[in-house]
Amino acid sequence: METLTSLILIFIGAALINNFVLHYFVGICPFLGVSRRVDTAFGMGCAVTFVISISALLNWTVTYFVLRPGAPLPAWVWQLAGGNPETQIDLSVLSYIIYIFVIASSVQFVEMYVRKFFPPLYRSFGVYLPLITTNCAILFGSLEIMKRLQDPTKLWGLHEALTLAVGGGIGFTIAISLMAGIREELDMADVPAPLKGAGIALIVAGIMAMGFMGFTGVEKGVASAIGALVP
Amino acid sequence: MAREEPTALERFINGVLPENPIYRQLLGMCPVLAVTSAMKPAMTMAGATAFVLICANIVISLMRSLLKPHLRILVFTLTIATFVTIADKFLAAYVYEMSKQLGPYVPLIIVNCLIISRCEICASKQSVGVAAADAVGMSLGFALALASIATVREILGSGMWFGLRVLPGSWPGWGIMVLPPGAFLSLGLLLGAAEWVSRKRARTNLWRTVRMLWSWRR
Amino acid sequence: MGETQQKGGYIGQAWLVIVLGLLYGGVLAGVQTTLSGRAADNKKDETYSVIPSLVRGADETKTIELMVEGKNGKEARIYRAIGADASHKGWVVSAGGQGFADRIELLIGLDPALTTLTGLYVLEQKETPALGDRITEAGFRDRFSGKPADQSIVMVKSEPKAENEVRALTGATISSESVSAIVNDALANLREPIGRRAHSAAPGEASRETTG
Repeated sequence: METLTSLILIFIGAALINNFVLHYFVGICPFLGVSRRVDTAFGMGCAVTFVISISALLNWTVTYFVLRPGAPLPAWVWQLAGGNPETQIDLSVLSYIIYIFVIASSVQFVEMYVRKFFPPLYRSFGVYLPLITTNCAILFGSLEIMKRLQDPTKLWGLHEALTLAVGGGIGFTIAISLMAGIREELDMADVPAPLKGAGIALIVAGIMAMGFMGFTGVEKGVASAIGALVP
Repeated sequence: MAREEPTALERFINGVLPENPIYRQLLGMCPVLAVTSAMKPAMTMAGATAFVLICANIVISLMRSLLKPHLRILVFTLTIATFVTIADKFLAAYVYEMSKQLGPYVPLIIVNCLIISRCEICASKQSVGVAAADAVGMSLGFALALASIATVREILGSGMWFGLRVLPGSWPGWGIMVLPPGAFLSLGLLLGAAEWVSRKRARTNLWRTVRMLWSWRR
Repeated sequence: MGETQQKGGYIGQAWLVIVLGLLYGGVLAGVQTTLSGRAADNKKDETYSVIPSLVRGADETKTIELMVEGKNGKEARIYRAIGADASHKGWVVSAGGQGFADRIELLIGLDPALTTLTGLYVLEQKETPALGDRITEAGFRDRFSGKPADQSIVMVKSEPKAENEVRALTGATISSESVSAIVNDALANLREPIGRRAHSAAPGEASRETTG
């Protein structure tokens, strides 16, 4: 029960309260670049959610077993090699390099796989896949998970990591779709010339961010609501 | 080569204003919004980015003749990620306070489009001197842009600049400016202002804006 | 171009990447060995340097870090605060929980008998600037000093009347209540395990039981 509550809170936190785009400012490039039409924006959002989940899964595994301080695999190898079992092995210096490669290669594989086996799906969002290797949101998701694996007293499990990733991806999709909806209307508005394009988009994003700030504190209510529903 | 590549001086000057990475090319927006709530983190970020950009540009330029076309992005990423790790560890060891405040935005320099685009456009084609000049110019342009946004946000948000009080203590401090919405609003308005100033026929545009505002009022 | 690719094979294609990988790996290993100790010290100093302000008379160089298993089955980090004369001055508990905007991480100072709160420090928070983030100010944190640790702390909006009442920050009720909830939960969870520790090892001769 407690686990479920904490998962729901992680999800709401990532998707709404600390929205990846509007609170942490990651994934701004596609947010400004691919938000001219709602259907393309939604496709981009789905692609990001998909890749962020896959890379979170892989990066959680790598971090948990290999990279975090006190990880089991390097310690085991070290002992096999006859090293002193007391030695703390910390490979976290390699994390950034490994994360970016895991992300880049998983994007490649996902693209090939989807193109081969799910052509309709590929047509709807596959075209965005190569674009999102350098999307900060993906790396940010992995970094947030890594942060939760540093302290041995509060290690995150795979379910928590995946919830954060899916929540973050859905939050991105919500933000970019809303943005695209507003920008479709903006095309018809008479925007002062210097603000056309990125300027007005950023101002709209600012107003959206104010709106999303209203979600702050929602999790308290959600937690007590769950507590009331399930005794 | 069909087209003459720019010289070192041109690259340097271009980076600062004419091709300013933020105001002109809209690259690397994520740190620009995230770390500009005050001058100190903004300048630390600019320093870290400059270190990575200069080192990566120089290293890539040194081995530009060895690069295979289809493996070059891999080499760029590897180089950038290494220097970012060095910068991150250095900050954690010597400027711990800032490292804590910048948090994930230091590793996110890896996916900053600015650096990879400079490696691709300049360093993989031109000599070390030009690449270094380009990197310094771009870093300067990036730092100037970060400073402009951070100045607006910190002064309006808390009445301070670099942690020193510049507005009287009675200044209420616009809390919104140091919060996420303030980042979007100030960058949006500053982009508009830069665009407006740089227009060649600024005067006509001014009149058009005034006329437009006037027509709205009626 | 195609000819050279075939002649080189995979190694010919990738030798630069491999060499670079080894080179960068070496550089990073050097960076790790020279800088990581310093970074870890910074992190530790941040906690240790505030311990004297949380437990009066504690000496940060003598204080010992311990891991205890709380009632909820999870490991928690506590510090046995020891004075310069090697006497046991109190406990510092590291605890965290959900705040208004994000997680709040606290250090809670307690007297040796676990009956009174002696101090509070906010290690991490992302509360609203100028409202919720005032929980970091001494003016708020000091309101907890001297409050009983064996009763639940209650946040009130007026002057506190009962012993276990603490006045909340104006305009930041939820942040204030989050802090008191973290304190209450941590004490409920850890009072018994810490009490057992207090009896099992005499102060001063406890060994360093840290793992991380």
